[in-house]
Amino acid sequence: MADISVDGDGFLVDPTVWTEEIASILAKEDGTGDLSDNHWKVINYIREYYTENSMAPMVRKLCKASGLKLKEIYELFPKGPAKGACKIAGLPKPDGCV
Amino acid sequence: MTINKQESKSIESFPLEVASQKEAEKSDLQSIKKGNLRTYSSQKDNAREFTSLIKKRSTRSIVSSMLGCVHCGLCASSCHYSQTHPNDPTMTPAYKADQIRRIFKRHMDFTGRLIPWWVHAKSIANDEDLNRLKNIVFGTCSACKRCTFNCPMGVDTAALIRFARGILTELGIVPEGVFAVSKDQWETGNQMAVSEEDFRETLEWMEEELQDELGTDKIHIPVDVKGCDLMYCINPREVKFDPRSIADAAKIFFLAGESWTLPSFGWDQTNFGLFSGDDQLGASVAKNVYEAAKKLSAKRIVISECGHGYRSTRWEGYNWANYEQELPTESIIHTLKRYIEDNKIVIDPSKNCDPITFHDSCNLVRSGDLIEEPRWLLQQVCTDFREMYPNRQDNYCCTGGSGLLSMVEYKPLRMASAKIKADQLKATGAKQVCTICHNCVDGLTDVIDHYKLDLKVVQMLELVSSALVV
Repeated sequence: MADISVDGDGFLVDPTVWTEEIASILAKEDGTGDLSDNHWKVINYIREYYTENSMAPMVRKLCKASGLKLKEIYELFPKGPAKGACKIAGLPKPDGCV
Repeated sequence: MTINKQESKSIESFPLEVASQKEAEKSDLQSIKKGNLRTYSSQKDNAREFTSLIKKRSTRSIVSSMLGCVHCGLCASSCHYSQTHPNDPTMTPAYKADQIRRIFKRHMDFTGRLIPWWVHAKSIANDEDLNRLKNIVFGTCSACKRCTFNCPMGVDTAALIRFARGILTELGIVPEGVFAVSKDQWETGNQMAVSEEDFRETLEWMEEELQDELGTDKIHIPVDVKGCDLMYCINPREVKFDPRSIADAAKIFFLAGESWTLPSFGWDQTNFGLFSGDDQLGASVAKNVYEAAKKLSAKRIVISECGHGYRSTRWEGYNWANYEQELPTESIIHTLKRYIEDNKIVIDPSKNCDPITFHDSCNLVRSGDLIEEPRWLLQQVCTDFREMYPNRQDNYCCTGGSGLLSMVEYKPLRMASAKIKADQLKATGAKQVCTICHNCVDGLTDVIDHYKLDLKVVQMLELVSSALVV
């Protein structure tokens, strides 16, 4: 299989090549580890939102849709929603101070 | 499958990427129509335009920095890029400034017109030259001003860098990340394109969480309340990705009995105009904040923890916007200090027992005069505060300043230059590093990850909040 190209921050260079297998590899690479059901709830929602809106969702929406507390999001993704969850979900790096 | 990280290319030859600009042109944006957000056109004579803008915009202070350099080399020993690349003269601040200076000399200084070869004066010939300049001014300098403070001639290289960035921005010759963030700030008034609905919903959510935590429905996160003593403005990443800092602030305001509000527009205190060099964007964003405070008849503007936001809103914005600002503007750090001094909140430092060091943010110590207040606070809220050396005005940048966090193409060089920061952090032996800037949080996190340091980044609101005696 082909290599996965990522940018200097570890985000996919081409978000359209994303697969669940790639998500698992990215999660191992950044120290998130094995992905649980809760991880997938977050990742799938982010992808869904991104496909519709071409941007990362607010963390508020993430918590509401997944039923997880903010604290739990940070426990699941130690790098946080932007640099952790969005990266594993294959999004380009969100704009701005992150 | 293996992960293939983007190769580090030679900085000066990194190409101009315009995909986001093309996409923006297609989407019929107001900011492009009005001429606020500029895009690149290969059909224009950009080199001539650049030269004419240099002539038009050179102020007295820019000219003195253009002419003042005697190439003594002191700047080389103050810059984290050149100190970590001692064999590469192109990393020296004087070299970077010379790439702008030589154009100025060729067109505005009589020596450059008469004997250009003698004084190293040279014109910009084409877009390729401009792209090379873009890579130098955006990619090899974090505008930290450490060289400025160490220059015996008073040359402000960081100001020259911003000056050149501003002209390149006008021509659309900018890194993709700079374009994308500028676009969001022009279009929506905040750099992460957060809608008012999303903004309000997040605040309501934090309010509910706080009411649960404190067991009272008296705690609120007010929006657009008129006549408050204090209008609080924040960094968009707080509301978009990590609203814990908003909850911390709200909790402290509540316990201190503060009369406060957030505005529903004009709440973004960050300002990409400072980074891109675009004074018009700087003016527009800063004015949003000033006007919001006026509309709400607030008595004071308080800026959350942010280095460049504080510098832009408190110091630079009035000039960019030509605004007669009479309201006092302060950082939340000043506010917290006042609460503790006036016994409005009670603190127990034994709740923060880890050894904590402090990272001075460039925009606060070298451009903001916010130096001793955070130290005073740290001494109140933790039991083991230890300085990092060098510190205060001599501290090194987190390496993510001047918008570099959004320019991923320059990250390999940034991480190489971060060795100096990593060594500085490591030598403290601290377990936590406190910074009062959101941008530095990410800059430091990158350094900690890259150099595998055993350190956690914290902010002042978090430390104060966890030390509160409720």
